[in-house]
Order: sequence, then C-alpha cells, then structure tokens
Amino acid sequence: MKIKKMKDKRTSTIVMHNVLIGILAVIWLIPIVWLVCTSFSEYTGINTSTFFPQKWSIANYIKLFHPDTVAQFPQWFMNTFIVACVNCVISTLFVLMVAYATSIMRFPMRKPLMNIAVILNLFPGMLSMIAVYFVLKTFNLTNSYAGLIMVYSASSGLGYLIAKGFFDTVPRALCEAARIDGCSEARIFLQMVIPMSRPIVVYTVINSFLAPWMDFVFAKMILNAGVSSKYTVAIGLYKMLDKSLINDYFTQFCAGGVLVSIPISILFMIMQKFYVEGITGGAVKG
Amino acid sequence: MANEKKSTAAEAVSGFFKAVGGFFSNFGTAVAKGNIFVKLSLLWWGAGYIRYKQYVKAVIMTVLEAAVILFSVFFASQYVPKFGSLGTVKAEMVFNIDTMKNEFNDYDNSFMILLFSLFSFVVWLVAIVIWIKNMDSVYKLQLMEENGEHINTFQEDMKLYIGEKFHITLLSLPVLGVVVFTIIPILLLVFVAFTNYDQQHMPPSELFTWVGFSNFITLFGGGGLTATFGYSFVRVLGWTLVWAFFSTITTYIGGILLSLLLNSAKTRFPKFWRLMFVITIAVPQFVSLLLVRNFFADNGIVNTICSNIHLTGFLQDIGLVSTNHIPFLSAPGWAHVMIIIINIWVGVPYQMLIATGVLMNIPEDQLESAKMDGAKPFQIFAKITMPYMLFITGPALVTDFVKNINNFNVIYLLTQDVYTTTNQALANSQAQEVDLLVTWLFRLTQDYYNYKMASVIGIVVFIICALFTLVAFNYMIGGDKEGTYQ
Amino acid sequence: MRKKLVSMLLCATMVATMATGCGDTSGDDKKPSSGASSETGGNNNDSSGGGGSSETVSLRLWGAEEDQDYLKQLVSKFESTYSDQKFNIEIGVESESTAKDTVLTDIEAAADVYSYASDQLADLVRAGALAALDDVSEVLTKAGKTLDDVKSANAPDSVEAATLNGKMYGFPTGGANTYFLYYDSSIVSDEDAKTWDSLLAAAAKGKKKVGMTLNSGWYNASFFYGAGFTTGLNEDGTTTMDWNGTSADGNSGVDVVKSMLDITSNSAFMPIADGQISNTIASGDLCAVISGAWDSGKAEEIWGDGYSATKLPTYTLGGKQIQMAPAYGYKFEAVNAYSKNTGWAVLLAEFISNEESQKLHFDLLKQPPTNSNVLASDAIQNDKAIAAAVSQGDFGVIQAVGQKYWDTSKAFGEMVAKGKINAKDDKAIQKALDNLVDGVTAPLS
Repeated sequence: MKIKKMKDKRTSTIVMHNVLIGILAVIWLIPIVWLVCTSFSEYTGINTSTFFPQKWSIANYIKLFHPDTVAQFPQWFMNTFIVACVNCVISTLFVLMVAYATSIMRFPMRKPLMNIAVILNLFPGMLSMIAVYFVLKTFNLTNSYAGLIMVYSASSGLGYLIAKGFFDTVPRALCEAARIDGCSEARIFLQMVIPMSRPIVVYTVINSFLAPWMDFVFAKMILNAGVSSKYTVAIGLYKMLDKSLINDYFTQFCAGGVLVSIPISILFMIMQKFYVEGITGGAVKG
Repeated sequence: MANEKKSTAAEAVSGFFKAVGGFFSNFGTAVAKGNIFVKLSLLWWGAGYIRYKQYVKAVIMTVLEAAVILFSVFFASQYVPKFGSLGTVKAEMVFNIDTMKNEFNDYDNSFMILLFSLFSFVVWLVAIVIWIKNMDSVYKLQLMEENGEHINTFQEDMKLYIGEKFHITLLSLPVLGVVVFTIIPILLLVFVAFTNYDQQHMPPSELFTWVGFSNFITLFGGGGLTATFGYSFVRVLGWTLVWAFFSTITTYIGGILLSLLLNSAKTRFPKFWRLMFVITIAVPQFVSLLLVRNFFADNGIVNTICSNIHLTGFLQDIGLVSTNHIPFLSAPGWAHVMIIIINIWVGVPYQMLIATGVLMNIPEDQLESAKMDGAKPFQIFAKITMPYMLFITGPALVTDFVKNINNFNVIYLLTQDVYTTTNQALANSQAQEVDLLVTWLFRLTQDYYNYKMASVIGIVVFIICALFTLVAFNYMIGGDKEGTYQ
Repeated sequence: MRKKLVSMLLCATMVATMATGCGDTSGDDKKPSSGASSETGGNNNDSSGGGGSSETVSLRLWGAEEDQDYLKQLVSKFESTYSDQKFNIEIGVESESTAKDTVLTDIEAAADVYSYASDQLADLVRAGALAALDDVSEVLTKAGKTLDDVKSANAPDSVEAATLNGKMYGFPTGGANTYFLYYDSSIVSDEDAKTWDSLLAAAAKGKKKVGMTLNSGWYNASFFYGAGFTTGLNEDGTTTMDWNGTSADGNSGVDVVKSMLDITSNSAFMPIADGQISNTIASGDLCAVISGAWDSGKAEEIWGDGYSATKLPTYTLGGKQIQMAPAYGYKFEAVNAYSKNTGWAVLLAEFISNEESQKLHFDLLKQPPTNSNVLASDAIQNDKAIAAAVSQGDFGVIQAVGQKYWDTSKAFGEMVAKGKINAKDDKAIQKALDNLVDGVTAPLS
C-alpha cells in the first residue's frame, strides 16, 4: 500500500514536473508561433485583433522569391551568406590564433596584451562606429562587402577568452612532449591542439557565422548607397518595417524572419552538443 | 586572497615597467658600445645587417625605413602640422560649365586631419619601436660575431617564426586588426570629446576645433532646463545600472533554474525540451524583438486580448492604468518592467545552455553526500549548486554585467519609435526614461550629430565599466581558481 | 513672428530675383553665341564637354521606396533625352522624410541627387550639403531652360520654400506635404467634419473614434499656428517660439493647451503614436483621422463609399472657433554639393521635377504636384485627398524650426495626449509651456 502511494506520488510529481516544463516551453514559443503564423497570413499589415491570421496563405513566401524593388530576399540571402562565410573563416582563425598564443605559449608581452584586451572590450562598440566608418572610408572600403567583413572580423581577436579557456584544458605535458620530439609550434597548433578542440572550433565558427545575420546597425552604416540589391538580410528585413512600408510588408518581414531562422536552427540542432561543450569548456576554465 | 591578487597585479605592473626600462637600456648600450655599423644603423636601418651578411633583412629594413620616410613626407606632412588648429580653410566651390563639375579649393577637413594625424602618430610610434628594436638586434649580432657564435641565415630566422617566435606570427594580424579597427577609433573619439564636433561644425563644409574640457563641464555642470545634460545623465545612468543589475541576475538565475529543471531525472525527453528553448536563440534578435514589440504595442494583440478578457478594465478600476490600453512599452514603469521581462525571455535559454554545461561537471560526490545527510533539494541548491556555479561562472557574470550596460539591441529594438517621454527635461537633451547610456549616445550621433557629447558619454561609460570590473574582480571574485574544485 | 517670416521670405525672393536678374544679363551675353550655334549646338556642347561625353558619367539617385519604379522610368527617359552622353545611374532607397539623417552622416557618400522635405532645408544648407541652384544655373541651358523658367513653372510658394538667404536649394517636385481630415461620411456628415466638437459628438454616436497624432511637433503645432502662434528659425540654427505667451491674435498659449486637453479627454478621441496612423485606420476603429495624402489609399480601402477628405476642423477656444493651421511643406529634388558630376546631377534633378515627370508622378502614385499646369489639371481637382490638401495652402504654415524643436515638442504632445497635465491647473500648463519654449529655443550644444 505504502509503496503504491509513494509511486503515485512520484508519478504525480513527474507529471507536474513535465507539465511545468511544458508551460514554460509554451511561453517561450508563443512569439515564435506568432511569427510563423503571421508569416502565413494573407493580410499584409500587422494583425492586431486576433492571434491567428484570419485567412491563411503562402503568398508572403512566394513574394519573397519574386523580388520587387523593396524585397529582394534571395539576393540578400546570397550577400549575407558570402559575408558570413568569409567572416567565419577570418574570425575563427583570428580567435584561435590569439587563444593559442595566449594560452599555450609564454612570451614577455603576454600579460600586458591580455590586460589591454580586457580594457578594450569595455568600450561600447556603438561609440566607435562612426570612427570605424571613416577609417573604412579612407581605405575606400565603405559601401563594400570587404569593408563590412573587416568590421566584423578585424577586431574578432578580442573575443578570444572563451577559446583560451578551452585551450587551457589541453594538458601541458602533451605540448611539452611534442616540443621535445622536435615539433614546431605551428605543428603543435595545427595538428595537435586544433583537432583536440573540436567543440571550441565549432562554437567559434557558429558565432562568427551568425554575426552578419543578426547585425543591422553596422551593416546599415557601411552599406549606405541605399541600393536594395546590395543589402544583407538584416538590413533588408529591417527596412521593411519602415513607416511607409510596414503595412504592405509586415508579413513578408515575418516570412523572411522564418526563412533566416530555419537554417540557423538546423545549425544549432546539429551543433548543439559541441556548442555547449565549447562554451562551458571555455567558461569553466576561463 | 584579495591581497594575493593585488600583489600579482602589482607584480604585473612592475614587470611591465621593468620590461620597458630594459627595452630602453638595451638601446642605450647598443648606441654606446656598438661598432660603426651598429651606429650607422641609427640612420640607415639596414646598415648593420649588411655588415653581418644578412642581406634579405637589410633590404627589408631599408624598404621599411623608406616607406616610413615616404609616408611622413607625402602623407603625414599634409595633416600633422594642422593638428593644433584642426584646419583653417573652409570649403568653397565654383561650378565649371565646361567640365560640368564643381571645382573645390584646397580645403581642410577637420575630421580627416584628426584621423590622419592620429594615424601618423601610431605609425611613428611603431616606427620608433622598430628602430629601437633594430638597434638592439644589430648590436646582438655584433656581440655574437665577437664571441664567434653562429649567425642565423635568413631561412633560419624565418624558421623561428613557426617555432619559438610563433606567437608573433599568430598575433601580428589580429593585433593589426585591433589597432586599426578598435584602438584608432577609440583614440579618435577620445580626441573628439575635447572638440566642438557637432551639427554646427560638421566636416566637410565646416571646421571644428579644440575646446578643452567644456564638454565634460556641460555633462556634469547641469542646471536649468536648457542645459539638461547633467540631469539626464544621472537619470539615464541610474536606469542603466538598474537594468544591468536586474537583467544579469534574472537571466542568470533563470538559466540555472531552467537547466536544473530540464536536467532533472524526472524530465521526459530532455533533449526535445531543450531544443524548444534553444529555438528562440536561433531567431535573430531584430526579428524576435521587433515582433514582441508589436505584440505588446498599444493597439497590439496583447492589448486586444487583455481588453477582451476585461483585464484592462480591471487595471483601470484599481488605478494602475489611466489609458484605455495597457501601456506595456509606452509608459515609464510599465516599460521598464516589461523590458526586463522580455529580456528574460531573450536571455534565459542562452544562460540555460551555459548552466547545463557547468552543472554536468558538478562533483557528484558532494551531491551524493549531501543527499545522504538528508538535505532538501532547496538546501542542495543553495549550499552546493549555487556556490559551485558562482565560483565557476563568477567572472562570466561580471562580463555579462558589463555587456548589459552596453546592451544596445534589446533596448533599441523594443523602444525606438515606440516610446515617447513626457519628461520635458529629458526630452530637451534627447534622452528618454528607458534609454541606456549607449542608446542615448547612439541617438545623439545618429539623429543629432552631437559627436562631442556622445564621445564624452562614451568615455564615462568606459570609466564606469572599468571601475566596476576592477572592483568586482578584486573583491567579489578574488582568488585562485585552481583551488577547491579540482 | 509670422510677419517676420513672411518679410524674410519676401526679402529672400527679392534678393533671389536680383541675383537671377544679374545672372540673366550675363546669360544674355552668352546667349547669342549659344543661340547662334543652336543648329550645331549639340556638336558645340560635345566639343566643350568633349572629355565629359566620352567618359561615362556615374550618378546615384535616391528616392522613396514607393517611387523606385517611377524613378527607373524617369532615368531611362533621361538617358534617352541626353543620348550623346553615356550614363551609369544607380537608384537607391532613401525617403525624403529621412534624407537629412542619412545625408548628414557623410555628405560625400550621399547620392548625387536626392529628395528632401522642406523642413530639412535649413539643416542641410547649414551643413553645406546642398548645391545652390543659382550657382550652377548655367547648366540648365542644356535642358533649354533658365532657372527663372523653373521658378515660374512651379507654384510661387514652393519656390519660396526652397529658397534660403536668396538662393534656391532644390527643384520643387511635390507639393501639399501636409495633413488634413479624412472621414467616413457614413458616420460623420460633411457638416460634422467642420468642427472638433461636432466631429467628436458624431464619432461618439457612431461608437467610433477620431484619431490624431499628438506626439509629433509636425502635427501638434497646428493648434498653435491656428491660434496665431509662430515658430521661427534664426540664422545660427536656433529656434524662436512664442507659445508660452499671447499670440498676435490675442489668444493665450494656456488656453490653447486647455482646448487641446478638452479634445484629448473626450472618450471619442484616440491619440495615435507617430507612424501608427495607417495601421490604426486599418484596424477599423476610426471614423475620422488627421493624416496626409499618403494614407488616402488606406482610408479609401477601409471606408469605401464613405471615404471623404476635407480641410482640418476648427476647435473651440474661449467660445470662438479657431481654424487649425497645419504645417505645410514641399518636397524638393536636390543636388549634392559634393557631387562628382554636379552639372549632370543638376540636369537629372531638373528632369525629375519637370512638368511631364510631375504629371507622371501624380498619375502613378498620387503625388501632389507643384507645377502650376499640373496643379490646374482636372485629375488633380477631382482627387478628394489632394483637393483637401491643396485647399489648405491659404492658411497652412511653412514650418520653420531648428533641430531642438522636435524631441521637445514631441514630449509636450505626448503629455497632452496622455493627459499628464491637469486642464484646471493653469500654473502647471504655463510651466509646461515655459519648459517647452525653453527647450526649443535653447542654444544648440
């Protein structure tokens, strides 16, 4: 009798527990569901009276792939993809290089450099935006993807801390042994430490790949010719919410948001394990 | 522990100065004791290397020297002499019908003078460091020859860069990037804080000039409604700190609780649930936040629902709401709370991922023994889980706080074009109750071109962040990590 | 103050005519030569601009999002008009309402030709972002015109509005940039639409609302302008304002605010946040709204046969009815002072603003014109929204304010809209007005 009661109690707590999680998940998903629903709405403005659209349609998605002067989604997607890929390569290299140098190697300027990095990270990036713009302008790189990529990747070395934390967990003895065997530092870096650090590499790759999809402030500043076909996804979608456009493009904006989120979600799903390991490996020891 | 930390900090500082001192004393010895070729290297950087048959190096150094000289003569000389006045010649133009073009006089652009002077200073600083280093290494060559040691060939030198000196190979590009895209812009804006660069003095048509500390005085002087920067600054700073505190704490604790919930043995399909939360990270913030903003708009869907279920009426009755909608994001108080709540929605899944990883590493034996002692779940949480989390993620907590001080996206996307202040004093300096220092300075630069005040605010933000980080690291976190939990 | 403005404008036009008069004489000197070679004019131009025609002229043109297709048409027409010259014209998106923000960030990177709303004129000129047309008017001979032709072709007010310190800083392209009253005649009769009192009563009866944006200095000033108050712009960019005192018509600012509060406290009134008007029309809660020509499509769609438009209503002030006086603006096609191809940029801007283009713009996009001939056409006269807008030209005010005006008056409007001021507390109202004037007239920092 008693055992059964306990079991009942256990089952009921389990049910309660899972119901609680379910409720939380629903709260977290409401806006996402709204996003998806709205993207299938026939009405093009903001629906303010009902949660679900009154009439369903896939017109928004069709329109996204049939560019007009405002919405050139496929082109934006390509632009962003290219920027993201190049940025991803450069940023990942920079982050890993700095992390390796500061974590594994020992040299006189190591501590001062790390302190300077901490200080630099405290400056709000928004502030230096206008100055960065004029620096790019001197090199004639405004209004170009090269300029945009530079803005995203040039200072990426400053975000090395988590990767450094991860490299710190690589056993010192291994590196020492390799050095005694006559391996150059470059070989230790490329052939030993990097392959051992897959989670952090994945983490860095995802982060740097995502930046151009999320940023609209710098992109708007640098791609300032106003030519729609040169936008990245973020600026293009953001501009759809302009006062004069929002009533015709709000649902397309939602559809665009969904289309951007799908590949990112898939990326997360596949890489989730590495991502968690990377970030915690870094944070724990960082 | 704090003392220990401080002493290491002191060591680091003194070590730094020792290194600098050594740097110059080496240079002194080289100049004093070097032979004629070493001394010649003072003028011709490549001279010493030729003597010791390092021809490639000699060429490289000579080219470098030539580049610096050419740079100084043809580039820097146009700008650096005007650094003191930031330019005197205003732009004038005459239309030429034959070429169909406007022809300009040779006008000064204050901003370019500032930027290029700064650029020249940086180049010269680097050149001086190279020059001094160069003397040192040439002198070393001399000593090596005197002692009959082997002098490296160029190839051997190059090999060093993937061996002992690999850090130089690794760091040079990232450091260059940081110098050009972070340090120069920051220095530039530090300079701008001491000029009158605003809408009345905008290059290329107008000039700006140095004004000393008057912008700082404007910020802290305050007084009266017409000069409300001081007043607004205090308000905005206050909300910035409140926001940073609550947004950091709520997402941090929320993340831990959620991850405990998800990782509990009672959870069915933990991976599925985790994914549900992670999806919210995958939607770009400018999409999800703009959406949420429309969700809670004055005539938005939530308000429609609230008035349908008579919640709005109820709130009106008890006096919480005076309008016929709930001003979720359009009235002070309401907006402040909503922003923090929405930020929980944004931030918790991310913190949950971190917490999940950290909690996986929590020492099992401690939990087991606590359970054996009959500790309640809450006690375990308060006595073991939280201290462990705090210990491990403490530094991250500090950086999160600093990041939230500068959290532009959430505030800007939720309040821009939606929130209107009714506080006239704030409005007179283009601030709002819900502004953080960064969003305020963003508006000052984007809509009002008030670069001088934005720079001043930026410097103040930096000082606040730096002070906080310093204090936090020294007193709150203090201590050695490799201690207790390994 | 308003008189001062008028006299200022008068002076400005006088100077302008003098200047162009001088320009004309010098033009006359040259005219014979260009006239004599009119037959070979094309060749002559080619030889003088010989380098110009062989190399491609690159221009960038900015226009509003909704105008993109229209501008594409114009550009291809422009290119065929000047077929001797090779062009590479890029069209970008920048609405005239936000042009100033983007242009001033980096003038040199801004488009060669862009449109801007008349309230941005002073800021743009002070930043040196606009080429003065008087300085480059010679080039218009290529289009077979003089600057005076342009001036006389457009409504005099629009030319005045484009003129500052005696120089003209843009070709008028769009007129009647103002707001007026849209209403649903099935609920609000034409008679009801004449005063706020009857309007609100009719709305209450029909269980609908009357909407207006108050948290914008563009809209809320109409109450004050109507009562005879003014704003003005000094040469150094500061603003003058007399709203906290008594107007030329003998109305006190406090009474105006009281009248506004009377309206906002009426339950049939709905304050609409800036930029949310067309959204709110779409929600179907409104039976009347104050907005501009850009919302005519939305209003017509929602109200169908009931769709009507008329001038702004009057409001009650101390027993009298006062006609609201809207801010009345224009849209100009400007040439960037730092353009690399100023001459061709001027020609393109002129082309975009000529009679034919304005007519096309109206046909395609219902843009109210400034060209006198287009204005006189039947199509314009029969359009409800444009007729309402143009009818306000007599009492509309060309709003002259500096940058300090906007945020401060926005906050003030929000206070009124939210009922943050007690209508019975004269002192509080006076204090709010004093704060408003202090903020607006503050020296620029």
